[in-house]
Amino acid sequence: MAGRSPAIACIGVIGRKNNPLHISLFPPGKRPALEFSFLLSSCLDIFEARMPYRTAEQDFGLLQAVDERLAMYGWVTSTGVKFVIVVDMEGGATPSTGKNPGAVGLRDADLKPAFRALQTAYIGLLRNPFYDPDQHSVLPNKSEQSFESSQITSEKFISEVRRIGEKWAPGVTSL
Amino acid sequence: MASTKAARIGEDVWKTRVDKVNAELVTLTYGTIVAQLCADFDADYAEVNRQLDKMGYNIGVRLIEDFLAKSGTAACANFRETAEMIAKVGFKMFLNITPPITNWSGDNKQFSLIFDENPLADFVELPDDGRAQDELWFSNILCGVIRGALEMVQLQVEAHFVSDVLRGNDTTEMRISLIRIIDDEMPPDDE
Repeated sequence: MAGRSPAIACIGVIGRKNNPLHISLFPPGKRPALEFSFLLSSCLDIFEARMPYRTAEQDFGLLQAVDERLAMYGWVTSTGVKFVIVVDMEGGATPSTGKNPGAVGLRDADLKPAFRALQTAYIGLLRNPFYDPDQHSVLPNKSEQSFESSQITSEKFISEVRRIGEKWAPGVTSL
Repeated sequence: MASTKAARIGEDVWKTRVDKVNAELVTLTYGTIVAQLCADFDADYAEVNRQLDKMGYNIGVRLIEDFLAKSGTAACANFRETAEMIAKVGFKMFLNITPPITNWSGDNKQFSLIFDENPLADFVELPDDGRAQDELWFSNILCGVIRGALEMVQLQVEAHFVSDVLRGNDTTEMRISLIRIIDDEMPPDDE
């Protein structure tokens, strides 16, 4: 698979109480949803462990490398909402330019524009008066089923996440 | 020409005589009001529209005084001139937008305002309950404002939205119709 370039495989938005708010997979339908749901759950402990050492910086950088292909990057807002991006190192098409960015690996800074765009999209979602963030916080005594109903349904937000996931590539400076 | 004159007055008033507030404050405040109304009336959107219109009316009857004082304009000669003043001075002054005027009826008593931008509806997505898209006029307060303000200058009008980008329409259009010119002796309408 030499010459393949990194691409986003999955974007997850996780609420303050570790309740999943939104998961997008790229390309849609081609990836096992359950497996990525587990991956996202597995990174919650890493967030937890690193939380005491966090600075004002919201970028958590690389959380963990799952295997040779998948790597997870995190970002936490000051209100505790977490964004996770799973990058597939061989998910993208061969770059048309001569250089091969896959060979040099990814720098943490490469994902910053994607996280910033995600955060902007999330802010836009919160500014919608009909979006009620409280309905997305899962009460401790609620059962598992409430997770399904607490997903973000805003089409604007979902399509923006989709756009970010599809447009991002290493070296992109703004989304 | 009247139209450029109105635009000039609007610019001038906006630049020199209006206190500005943060747009986001306005947008979020208004959005919260509408969302709260929807919750209070159990998503009875027809009633929400009515309440918004009523609130707008009460704003309009007060706002007109401020408008006349700041713009320093005299009475309009005809309804066309009134439309120019609303679009180019009124909306400019209070919302910093100038919605274009179109679709005049043959008798010059009806026109439409097209809202290319609407500060009240920034960031808004209507609730996805299958009814809001067909029943709620999110910015309905504006209709009430116009109705209330014009009533204070002896013009009885009817204003309503006919389309809204929030509902998926291509444009946001408000239709304003002159019903009659109120005689000075008329007793006040007890809305």
